[in-house]
Amino acid sequence: MKRLLLGTAMALGLAGMAQAEGYKIGISNTVQGNGWREQMVCAMKAEALASGKVESLNIAHRNTDAAGQLEDIRNLIQAGVNAIVVNPSNAEGINAAIKEATDAGIVVVAVDQAVTEPSAYILSNNQTEYAYLGAKWLFEQMGGKGAVVYMRGAAGAGADNDRDVGFKKAMAEFPEITVAQEVFTGWQQDQGKQQINDIIAAGVPFQGIWTSGIDNVIVDALVESGAPMVPVVGADNAGFVGQLSSVEGLQGAAVTNPGSVGGAGVALAIQILDGKMPAEKTVLVDPALWENVTEEGKAKLAAAANPNLSPEWPVSVSIEGWTNYTMDQIIACKGPGE
Amino acid sequence: MKRWIDANTWTLGLAVLLAILLVSTKLIQPDFGASGLDSLARAALPFALATVGMAIVVLAGGIDLSIAAMMAVASVTGAVLMEGASDGQSVLIVLGVLLLGLAMGAINGLLITVSKVPDIVVTLAMLFVWQGVALLILNAPGGGAAPWLRALSAGGIPGIDWLPRAVVFLAIITALIWVPIRRSKLGLRLYAIGSDPLAAFRSGVPVGQTRIIAYALCGLFAALGGLSVTMSTGIGEPIPGPYLLASVAAVVLGGVVLGGGRGGILGPILAVFILRTVRMDLTLLSVDPNVAAIIEGTIMVAVVMFGAVLATRGHKT
Repeated sequence: MKRLLLGTAMALGLAGMAQAEGYKIGISNTVQGNGWREQMVCAMKAEALASGKVESLNIAHRNTDAAGQLEDIRNLIQAGVNAIVVNPSNAEGINAAIKEATDAGIVVVAVDQAVTEPSAYILSNNQTEYAYLGAKWLFEQMGGKGAVVYMRGAAGAGADNDRDVGFKKAMAEFPEITVAQEVFTGWQQDQGKQQINDIIAAGVPFQGIWTSGIDNVIVDALVESGAPMVPVVGADNAGFVGQLSSVEGLQGAAVTNPGSVGGAGVALAIQILDGKMPAEKTVLVDPALWENVTEEGKAKLAAAANPNLSPEWPVSVSIEGWTNYTMDQIIACKGPGE
Repeated sequence: MKRWIDANTWTLGLAVLLAILLVSTKLIQPDFGASGLDSLARAALPFALATVGMAIVVLAGGIDLSIAAMMAVASVTGAVLMEGASDGQSVLIVLGVLLLGLAMGAINGLLITVSKVPDIVVTLAMLFVWQGVALLILNAPGGGAAPWLRALSAGGIPGIDWLPRAVVFLAIITALIWVPIRRSKLGLRLYAIGSDPLAAFRSGVPVGQTRIIAYALCGLFAALGGLSVTMSTGIGEPIPGPYLLASVAAVVLGGVVLGGGRGGILGPILAVFILRTVRMDLTLLSVDPNVAAIIEGTIMVAVVMFGAVLATRGHKT
């Protein structure tokens, strides 16, 4: 009996300790209603749940600018969180609030894009490499000459500028490649489709299309208009990856840009809170390219495709060595206490 | 005294609502104090300045859909010029940006007055024009801000720690620009063309000129709002922030009639602080972010409807 009591007391004590150890993590994101960002937020929730160490998540997730993100981060500081994982709206605009957070002893991890505040940890996708890898493959497919339709992201966005650097780097290596048309899709499906329809209707000749992730609607437009199929480069969005295996005559490549970098950011924040400091303050996740021209590429595409994912979600739902959740957990998109 | 209270019931009601919200914030988060007030005020500053600009145009019977885009133009112009500038130069740059704001607003007003095209159409078109201008000046977030400018809105007032500098800054700017206008003939004219342009015209009010001035003032406050964004972020952002809809919402919640002619400036400013405090409380309570937007909208509609009920009751008695 005594033993039982002691055991119960110990169990209770341990449970109490676990409770005390539960971290409170804040999240700040400034683009809402975009498949990639929604996957990022779901990855954050799933990782927090899978870790078993997070008591609650405090999520500020809305469409706003850097000034609005300053407000959100300061509100999270007020809420007394232990760590903040943030997808910064740009590299410099939110430094003031990040400094206030780290001064207050809060761990700050910037995911997806970098910040220049030195007290923050950064875990981001390598956007320059993303554009370079895809553009280089595309130009090789085009035989090193011809005109390419350059469908960028949102004008003025940090990731778009980094990608532009990578694209220009590939352009410089292929002097006979010209840009047939350069447009900003704003990372909006409807806008991108309208633009490619206009370009096809105007009769502008082109031999390849590079997109900044608005990809499946471009293939749709090519199929619907009966225009000749040209090589298309997109991101690893589920819809586009599916098309690469199913659309007749389509040559294309998907470059990975995992939204699950959000989950990796939460994992890094928990590690730091546990006292395990990473060797470097900046961790870059390099993209991979999956094409449907070689057998090897086809196999990679087939392995990545998952019919359960929303077509706008990237299919790379986890990052090896970082994320610990299961596929079901990220699709369920539930955080601790939900 | 009673007359003053009668005339300002709505504003007083908003002040009480804000006080209740601040007390509940303290209940939700017992640590809420000077730093909390400071972050609230800093967040509210660009919204408040945009709202004052919008309120002036709405009082004069118009609306300016290009306000957030003008803020972006002001913000990037200031940030680009200020990068690496000395303190003395940056004072001139700030004055220049304010003039630029006046000019942008005056162009909006001039186009409306001369073309006779409805204000909503002209300013919607100008929204795209100013957006393009901002991107031409700076195609990605960048630039800088003078340290003295950044210090204007950061922290408390020495000696009175709980009073945020951003609030004092807002009060001084608004009082310096709006109070003299409100008390002059121009103020009467603004209200006159807002409540009935024809009657105003027949009473000898230069309607077109007054309208242009109203839009120019809106442009001036948009420039101040844009500068305040640069003040808080330290950079310029070419993509306009969420200030257009937020400023219209605060103007309506602040008791300004959308048709023009009735309302004040203090009400909309209080409304801005109420909306920011609601946002803060929703974050502190870690409400699901998608639900938070619904709650914000519902509160807004509920308060305005409550006000309409009060107003009809007041008329009956």
